Parts: sequence; structure tokens; C-alpha cells
Amino acid sequence: MRRDLDPSVTTSGAAEGAECPYCESTDTIREHPKGPSLCRSMHYCNSCEQPFEKFE
Amino acid sequence: MSSNIPDDTDATPCAYTDYREGESTADLPATGDDATGLAADVWDVLYGIEDPEMPISIVDLGLLYGVDVADGIATVDMTLTYSGCPARDMLTEEVKAAVAAVDGVEDVELRLVWSPEWTVEMVTDQGKNDLREFGLSI
Repeated sequence: MRRDLDPSVTTSGAAEGAECPYCESTDTIREHPKGPSLCRSMHYCNSCEQPFEKFE
Repeated sequence: MSSNIPDDTDATPCAYTDYREGESTADLPATGDDATGLAADVWDVLYGIEDPEMPISIVDLGLLYGVDVADGIATVDMTLTYSGCPARDMLTEEVKAAVAAVDGVEDVELRLVWSPEWTVEMVTDQGKNDLREFGLSI
């Protein structure tokens, strides 16, 4: 079983560069492909040091 | 190891399939901006219904594809963000109850449609602002 077939650890979006909803910086990194619901992933903004979610 | 995958040289196209172009999504979602009278009242209550997970109106989320009111019967076309949405019954019941409560609406026909499928592009500008406010990148 290849690990990347597990849908719980994959997502459609890019791993970095999401726009931070708080400070609009794109110096961000995806911390986890899944957030509180299946359509959202967890990211972290290096600029304002806040975690945020992104719509996938 | 034997394989159960049929040899695709045996495959024949289904003779009963009618392929049609999907609808254009240019005028979707519907937001009721030009609605008048009773239809406008229906849009008002729809705006008042929020997504269960995020502080955004289901209209701004882009779930509404059309509202038509004729002879006291309101027909609402709506979709969900995906077909397995766990909030399906909750949202459809809430929409039916809210629309039925509008003065002048005697009956509600809610049609759940899956075409065109919902995408993030369906979120209105107001909705995008609401989501950013909530801490969601979109």
C-alpha cells in the first residue's frame, strides 16, 4: 500500500504560499493537509506568527 | 496473479447515453440582487441562514442556484459544497422552514441539484471577506 493513497493525509492545494487572512503575507507553510473539516487545511504564517485555515 | 480487469478491447460505448454540455456557471451562484416582492423576501431569509461551520451566509457561500415564487409556491434550487455533506438534512430542513415562514409563501419546493458542482469560485466577494475575517485563507 503506497502511503500517498491515504486520503486523510493528502490535499489538493500547494504546501506553501497561501495568503494569510490576517496580514496578507504569503510567507506561509502548510502544517497539516486536513483542518477542522475535509475541505480545509491548516497553515502557519511566518510573518505574523499565526495559524490559519485555508479552503482547499 | 490473475487479473479481473476486463480487456478494454471488449468495451463498447453505451448506446443509451446522451452526452450534453453542462450549464454555464457564468450566472451562478444566484444571489437575488434583482429579486422583487415576495422573491426578495425569500432571499432575505436565505441570507439569514449561515453555514454550520463558518460565519458565512449560505447565499454568500454560493449554495443557491435559483429562487422562483409563483402562486404562493416557492421553488428553491440549491446545492451543497459536496454530496456527502454531513449538514445536508440540517441545511435543507432549515431552508424549507425559513422559506415556508415567509408571509405569502404557502408551500416550498426545494430542489437539491448537483450540477454545476460547487467550487470555491462560487463564494461571493462578501463571502470571501467573511471567511477571511474568520481566519480562513481563500
